[in-house]
Amino acid sequence: MIEAEYGSGRLALELIQASAVFVLVMIAVVVWERTGYAIGQWRQRRLERRYQSLIQRALGGDDDAVRALAASPARHRLALLVQLITPLIENRDPGRIARTRVITQGLAFFSVADRYLRSVWWWRRAIALRAFGLMQIRERTGAIVAALDDTHPAVRAASLDALTDLQDPASMQAIVVRMHDATLQRGRRAAALGAFGQQSEEFVLELAAIDPAHRLNYARALAVCGSARARPVLCQWTADDRLPVRAAAFEALARVGLDDEAVGVALEGLNSPDVSVRAMAARALHGSTGDAVTARLTSRLDDAWPVAVQAARSLRSIGPSGLAALRATSARVDLAGQLARQMLWERERA
Amino acid sequence: MLAPIVSALIVWSLLIAAYFILWNVAQVLMAPIAALYLRRHQLQQTRRARALATHLAAPPLVSIIVPAYNEELTIVDSVSGLLALDYEASEIVVVNDGSTDGTLALLQQAFQLVPASLAFIQPLKCAPVHGIYRSVADPRLVVLDKANGRCKADASNAGINAASGALVLVIDADTLLEPDAVTRAVLPFLEDPTIVAVGGNVAITNGCRIEDGRITAITLPRSWLARFQIIEYMRAFLLFRLACASLNGVVLISGAFGLFRRDAVIAVGGYDQTAIGEDMDLTIRLQQHFRRRGEPIRIAFDPHPLAWTQVPEDWASLESQRCRWRRGLLQVLWRRIGMLGNPRYGVVGAGVLPYMSFFEGLGPLLEIAGYLVTAIAAMLGLLAWKYFFVVLLVSVFFGTAVTLVAVLLSDLATRRYMSGPDLTLLIAVVLLENFGYRQIVSWWGCVGTAQALTGTDGGWGVMKRRAFKSA
Repeated sequence: MIEAEYGSGRLALELIQASAVFVLVMIAVVVWERTGYAIGQWRQRRLERRYQSLIQRALGGDDDAVRALAASPARHRLALLVQLITPLIENRDPGRIARTRVITQGLAFFSVADRYLRSVWWWRRAIALRAFGLMQIRERTGAIVAALDDTHPAVRAASLDALTDLQDPASMQAIVVRMHDATLQRGRRAAALGAFGQQSEEFVLELAAIDPAHRLNYARALAVCGSARARPVLCQWTADDRLPVRAAAFEALARVGLDDEAVGVALEGLNSPDVSVRAMAARALHGSTGDAVTARLTSRLDDAWPVAVQAARSLRSIGPSGLAALRATSARVDLAGQLARQMLWERERA
Repeated sequence: MLAPIVSALIVWSLLIAAYFILWNVAQVLMAPIAALYLRRHQLQQTRRARALATHLAAPPLVSIIVPAYNEELTIVDSVSGLLALDYEASEIVVVNDGSTDGTLALLQQAFQLVPASLAFIQPLKCAPVHGIYRSVADPRLVVLDKANGRCKADASNAGINAASGALVLVIDADTLLEPDAVTRAVLPFLEDPTIVAVGGNVAITNGCRIEDGRITAITLPRSWLARFQIIEYMRAFLLFRLACASLNGVVLISGAFGLFRRDAVIAVGGYDQTAIGEDMDLTIRLQQHFRRRGEPIRIAFDPHPLAWTQVPEDWASLESQRCRWRRGLLQVLWRRIGMLGNPRYGVVGAGVLPYMSFFEGLGPLLEIAGYLVTAIAAMLGLLAWKYFFVVLLVSVFFGTAVTLVAVLLSDLATRRYMSGPDLTLLIAVVLLENFGYRQIVSWWGCVGTAQALTGTDGGWGVMKRRAFKSA
């Protein structure tokens, strides 16, 4: 009956065999993979032990150690390069970077890295770029900049990382003109720009003057790299037709600081119909003094929550008059009162 | 008289066989998808890539929300671990959800808490907050003391209200985080503006040595129940969720570790206090909210173990947990039935939810029914016993092989339990899991289904926790 429906006993046996083989194959794969990993780890530890003292001596300036490393077997060189370059992620001491450059040249670094840079495998290209950046090899700045247009997003990200580490002024323009390139990761764009600090401000301002369409991005960039020099331009942008641009301009002003004229602009910004513009205007007034500032910020403690928070923080920062305003408000039982009490508590504990 | 019964049994047996084949095919297909995602993730998340957060002048502030209800055994260790994370731009908001034990007193003592003012608006519903404390020892620590909201969702909402970070990390009070967990989880937000949430692989602390809130040695636990759950977690996190992440269809971010954009959580109304599986409910609502509006959304998943949690080592706690999970799953699937098969919701509507409904929704019922019907047919002489054993053996072997794929992925992703004895034991656990444990879990799935259908509230149950030092 049902036996017939299930088909022959042979089929059943084959099914059992197939599934059992599947299990055995998987066990073999797991064991093989673990064994391979253990051997790799063991080899790596052995190489580390063998070369550790030599590397330390070479980094300490011992030329004999450099020569000894250069004479190491070719099959050890990749592991040695990894051992030398990886610590540079955390340790950005210029002396160590320079010394690592010297040592790795003896290990045929350039031939390996250039080969990786031409590889069809994206992760190899990314490794080469990051290595160039970590060791600040400015001879390869052109190649790193060219990699910003690589077809693979991870390579483009590695290129930005490399430019951040490289800090070569020759690459600054390439970074600034790509500020709007959404195919590049936004955090990395900010980090690369931030690496140059105020050096990139000039480029940003020049580009902003001829490209008002992307003003929002320039305002955000100036929040990272701007200085007092950018203040007049940012003040102009607080009257831009686009509300996000206004908010970003006030945010950048919060970084670059205000002069008397800019304080007036920020106070005007507190009247904006847009919450984010008012909030950023209140933030820009951080550290500003004057009765008008205190009075206007105090009145904003009853505003929408993001504005009230920024106003309270700015009041906390402006000295005795701000504290007096906060104390007066702290007696209230509403949210503004709570906010004032929080600021006073934080001020007391700071 | 017997003919219709025989026919029905034949049809039923064929249906079960077809279901079984489909399930295995789906699992086998998932494996390469998950493996590719894992490989890509490992190649991209290099140490240099992770250092991005330290290269930013102003990395995003992360508020770590810790809902705590009667957590006196673990809370101090947990908070100590959180304060020692390598991500500096963080604040910790512990929400004491009306604990009746010494949770608050221990926190006050260990971290020098003093009453303080903290102003915040309450966009999300939650039970009233009675008191706010801040730590004199570390100003990043805030403790909210609130009335018991009878669910984790309520406490999480209170924490999200008070959070000042643009990102909120919601964890369990007994969760231990890896030192670089937040840095790893923040990275996708820095890279991709469409990221709304990031989930992480959750590993099991049972059997591990823990010192000062840190895992210092990883070994398999002595309890067989905990060992079986380790295997289950590997399957869940490193097969299904990786495959979902690869297809941009993550529908569950574990309550033990989930980093969210605060504005997105608030936009969907926060955690739903009426949801049994509040973590899955929130994740699916996020997918629904953004996809319905045609806005880009990506929920990422990090296969590296970011968080560690305790699992129950007694049958009663485990049964209670599994029945609750089951009710939660069915409730979410029922509430979001409009998304099922709806291409408007992309891969979530067209692929992931139908998969979950068909395989996870029906799975335990069909498995138990399959065993019963085949056994009954064999007992009645309608089916030769040898075929019962064929079905059983093939089922066990295929299940074992699929689990071994998950073990392999776990090895590649996490390198846990790497010693020779642990490997032998792990393979034994994988094999033995099929004889009894799996069937019991499926049975609890049926019990949970019955509870869901009859509206029985099994509650959260009480998990017997252990202090980390003895975990």
